[in-house]
Amino acid sequence: MTGVYPSMSHPSNQGRICVRGWNVHEVASSTDRLRQPLLRTTNGFKEVSWEKAIEFVARRMRDIRDWHGADALAFFNSPRCSNEESYLLQKLARAVVGTNNVEHGTGVYCNNSIDTLLEMIGHPATTNSVGELSESEVLVVDGVDLGMQLPTIGGRVIRARLNGAKLIVVDARRQRVAEQADFFLQLRPGTRALLYGAMAKVIVDRGLMNLPFIKSHCRNYEAFLEAVRQYDLLAVAECCGVPAERIEAAAVAYAQAKSAAILYSTGVAARGRGSTRALVNLALLTGNIGRRGGGIFALTEHNNLQGTCDMGMLPDRLPGYCPVGDEAARRRLEILWKARVPETPGLDAQRVFDNAGGGQVRGVWLLRYDPVNTAIFCDAASALSKMELVVVQHLFMTSTAQYAHVILPVVAFGEERVSFTSTDRRIQLAEKVIEPPPGPKPAWRQLTEVARALDADWHYQDAGEVMEEITRAVPFYSGATHENLARNYGRQWPCTRDKMLGTKYLFEEGIPPQAFNFAVVPRPQTPQGASDDYPVAAIFGNSLYYWNQNVLVQHSETLKRELRVLLLDYPEGFVEVSEEDARRLGVRDGEKIRLVGHHGSSVAAARVTGEVRSGTITVPFFVKEVMKQIMGEGAFEAVSRTKPVFVRLEKA
Amino acid sequence: MRARIIARNEVLKIVDLLRRDHEVVAPFRGGGRDTFFDTVTDENRGRIEIHLPNPYLPPKRYVLPQIEKLLRFRPRDGTWELLPEFNDRKRAIFGLRSCDVAGIHHLDRFFLGREFRDPYYERRRKNLFIVNVVCTDPEQDINDECYCLCSDTGPAARDHFDLQLMDLGEGEFMAVAGTPAGEALFAEPIFRPATPGQVERRRRILSEVRHRFKNTTGWFSATVRYISRGQVLEKTWEEIGHRCLECGGCTYVCPACTCFTVTDRPVGNGEIERVRLWDSCALGGFTRMAGGHNPRRAVHDRRNRRFFRKLAHYFIQRELSMACVGCGRCAAVCHGDVGMPSVVEMIRRATAELDRHEPVKS
Repeated sequence: MTGVYPSMSHPSNQGRICVRGWNVHEVASSTDRLRQPLLRTTNGFKEVSWEKAIEFVARRMRDIRDWHGADALAFFNSPRCSNEESYLLQKLARAVVGTNNVEHGTGVYCNNSIDTLLEMIGHPATTNSVGELSESEVLVVDGVDLGMQLPTIGGRVIRARLNGAKLIVVDARRQRVAEQADFFLQLRPGTRALLYGAMAKVIVDRGLMNLPFIKSHCRNYEAFLEAVRQYDLLAVAECCGVPAERIEAAAVAYAQAKSAAILYSTGVAARGRGSTRALVNLALLTGNIGRRGGGIFALTEHNNLQGTCDMGMLPDRLPGYCPVGDEAARRRLEILWKARVPETPGLDAQRVFDNAGGGQVRGVWLLRYDPVNTAIFCDAASALSKMELVVVQHLFMTSTAQYAHVILPVVAFGEERVSFTSTDRRIQLAEKVIEPPPGPKPAWRQLTEVARALDADWHYQDAGEVMEEITRAVPFYSGATHENLARNYGRQWPCTRDKMLGTKYLFEEGIPPQAFNFAVVPRPQTPQGASDDYPVAAIFGNSLYYWNQNVLVQHSETLKRELRVLLLDYPEGFVEVSEEDARRLGVRDGEKIRLVGHHGSSVAAARVTGEVRSGTITVPFFVKEVMKQIMGEGAFEAVSRTKPVFVRLEKA
Repeated sequence: MRARIIARNEVLKIVDLLRRDHEVVAPFRGGGRDTFFDTVTDENRGRIEIHLPNPYLPPKRYVLPQIEKLLRFRPRDGTWELLPEFNDRKRAIFGLRSCDVAGIHHLDRFFLGREFRDPYYERRRKNLFIVNVVCTDPEQDINDECYCLCSDTGPAARDHFDLQLMDLGEGEFMAVAGTPAGEALFAEPIFRPATPGQVERRRRILSEVRHRFKNTTGWFSATVRYISRGQVLEKTWEEIGHRCLECGGCTYVCPACTCFTVTDRPVGNGEIERVRLWDSCALGGFTRMAGGHNPRRAVHDRRNRRFFRKLAHYFIQRELSMACVGCGRCAAVCHGDVGMPSVVEMIRRATAELDRHEPVKS
C-alpha cells in the first residue's frame, strides 16, 4: 500500500479527512510487523507455530477456569477493533468461558454517556447524521477540540458557520473551532451543569420551550421544571465566569433555531452525568430530537467505539445493550449461542488493572489493546506482571506485549474485509485491498480457533458469516449483512430487515408517545471556588493529538515527527498556562513553574498558550506525577474528577 | 504543432499502442462522483473514460509517490554498502487534464530545472509519456471548483505533453503532437490529416468552453501583487489560519506541491531503508529546526507560507510560473474552506478595502 485518499462521495466527510487518515496506509506497510505467534520462554520470546500457540492459549485458559472459575479470566479490546472481532471476543468470554469480564478499554470515559442517553432517549448513540450538520441553524460544541480530535466534524461545523449557522462553543479552552464562534462561553472548569441549567431556565422563563413536543413525547417534565427553578442566571454567570448576557443570548439562539445540534465528546474527558443530562434536557426542552439537522451528537473519538459498545464489549450489557441481568435478553442469546450466558455483571478494565479485581483475575486477553501505553487510569504494567496468563493479539510488539505469555499477530486495516461503526451509527465495510504478509491471521479467525480448541462449535469461514450472526444477536443490526453494507457507504443503524437502507436520524418516522425522559439535575453545589491562597483552577485533560500514542502515530513517519515536536520542545511534559498568567508570573514558554496545592506541590515546564483561560491551568493526563504531587491522587482520580483542583502558581 | 484526426471509437487504440511498451495509467469512474487513475489492464481497458470529473488524487504520485524508497544501506566490511532503488518503468498517463500537465511541468522546474537534478524524479519523468485530454464537456470535465482560466493553464495545455486529444464532436477527436515521441504515433493508420475546417472547429470550441467555467477566481494578479509586496494584513492571515485544521490535505491533493521529507527506518538484519514522503507546510513539524526554534509555529504563519510559496513574485520568477494550476482540488479538500479560490478572495477583499491601496483621494 503506497498511499491513500478519501472518497468525495462519502456522505459524512465528502472527501475531507484528517492528517491521520491521509497517513493510515503506513501501518500495514510498517517494517516491524509481527509475523509469527510468540511464546514467552525463560530466554525471551520464541516463535512458534499457530497450532502450538492456540493449543497453549486454550490449555492455560482451561486450567485457570477449572482451578479458579470463569471469572478469573477477563477479555479487553481496543475501541479500534472491528465489529466482528469485538463480537467474537465477548462471545468467547460469555458463551465459551462463562464470564462477563469484558470491556473495550475506554469505558471509564464513555459509560456515563451511554447510560445517560439510554435512560433519557433510549438509544446510546448520536441521534443524527454528520452530514446534517450543514442543515443545522445552531450548533453547540461542548468541551471537545474538534479541530484536533475530529477535524472531519470540526470542518462541518466551521463550514456550517460560514454558511450562516450560529455557533455556540462551550469550553474552558479557546481551541480552533472556538475562533469561529458567535457565542464563545469560556467557562470556569467544573461549572458546565450550572451553565446548562441556567440556559434551560432562560428558555423556560421566556416561554421558548416546545410544549407540544414535550407534552406528547416526554415524561418527567414537572420534576425537571421544579429543578430548573433553582437556577439563577446572574449567580450562574458569576460562578461560570461568563457574562450573563452571553449565556442568555446563546440560550435564546439555541431555543429559537428550527434545528439545533449539540455536539459533545464521549472520549477522554472528565464528564459527569449531571452535565450530560443537562445537555440532553436542553434538546428535549426545545424538541430537537427526531428532527433533521437537530439532535445530540455523542461523538466517539475512536474509529469503532460505537461499534465495540454495540457488540456488547461492556461488562454489564449484552450485544444490543440489554443488561446482563435481563433474563429474556440472555435467553435469546443463549438460544443463538447454544450456551449459558452468565447473569452477573463482570469487571471492567479499570477494576482489573487497578488491583486485578481484588486478586480474583489471573488471566487477561487483550485484543489490539495496549493499556501499558494508553490507559491513563491505572498502572497496567504492574497488574499484568502479576498475571498467570496474558494473551495479546496485536500488529506490533507493544509495551503491553512485553508482558504477554503469548502474542498472536493480527492483520492490518486494508488486509481483511470487516466492518466498523462510525460516530453517526454508520456501519461501514473496510474492504480488503491487499493480501496480508505471510504469517499473521485475522483476529476473528484466531478467536474462532481458540473457541474450537475449547470445544465450542464455531464454524465461521469469513468475517461475513460473523456479521450474519451479529444480525441475529443485535436487533438494530438485523439488516446489516456485508452484502447490504457493500452497496453504499455502509448503513446507519437501526438497519433492520424491514429497513435495509438504515436510518439517517433516529425517530425519522415519528416518535413514539412519551419516549423520552427529562432528567432532574439539581442545582450543583457552587464549586468550591478559588481562594486567595489557591486562586487558579487546574483541569486535567487530553492534550494535543500528537500525544495519543496509538499504533498509527507510532508507525507513520509524518505523524511520528509531529509527535516528536512536542516531545523535543517539552521533554518532561508540560502544563498549559495562559499568556496573561504567565506574564504576571514572569514565566516564559518552556520555563519551570510550580503548582502549589492544599496537599503538596509540583514543578513542570510551562507551555504558554492563548488557548487557556486566565485563572486556569491545564495538566495533560500523561504528566501523571503532577496530580499525585498536588493532591496525593493518581491519574485515575484525575480522569473521573469533574470538579477542579485549586492551586497557586509560582515561578520555579 | 502538427494536428491529426482520429475517430472517437478509435481513441482507445492509442492506449493499446502505448501498452505495447508502457504501463498505461488512465482515469476511471468509482462510486458516486469519484474518479481515479489506475493502471490499465485487459480487464478494465473497456471502462476507461474520456469525459469525467478530474480525479481527486492528482497523477503527481506517478512522478513523486506519496512514499518512495530511495535506498537501503547495510554494514559491510567495516563500512556501509549503499543500494539505491531506482524505478525505471516506462509509464504513460492517458487522459491527463491540462491543469495536471501544468502541475507536472511545475514539478519539472522544481526537481530538474536548477543546479541540482533529482535522480529519482528524473528517471520517472524521463520514462513518462503524457496524453493530455482537453476539457470540453462542461457537465463532465469542468467541476464547480475549476479555475484554470485564471491560472492560465487550461482548458487546453499549450505544451509539455506528448500527445493532446480534444473532442471536436461529431465522432471526431483532434490529436496534436507535442514531442517527437508523440508525433511518432501519427505513423499509425488510425490518424488522418486534419483539415483547416477542423482546426477552426477546435478554435471555436475552445473559445466557447472558456465561458462555461462556473467559478473564476479573477483576482489572482491582484493577490500576487499584495502578497509579493507584503501588503496582506496580519488579521487576514489569522482569519485564514483559524480555519485550517492542519490535515495537510491541500498539499497532498495539489499537483504542484513539491515538499517532501526524508527519513530512515530499520528494516531488520541491521539494514536501514531511506524513504521520501510527501510533507505538508500545514504541519507544525514542517519548519521546526533542530535547535527547537520554529519560525512558523503559529498555524497562520504556516498557512501564509503556503500562499507565499505559491503566489509570491520571488517564487514565480524562480520557476517561471505560479505554483498553482487552477485545478480546484484544494477547495474541495479543505475543512475550513481556505483553498486557493477562497483565500484569493479573502485577501483581495480585505486588502483592497484598505485606504493605502487606493491612491486616489478626494
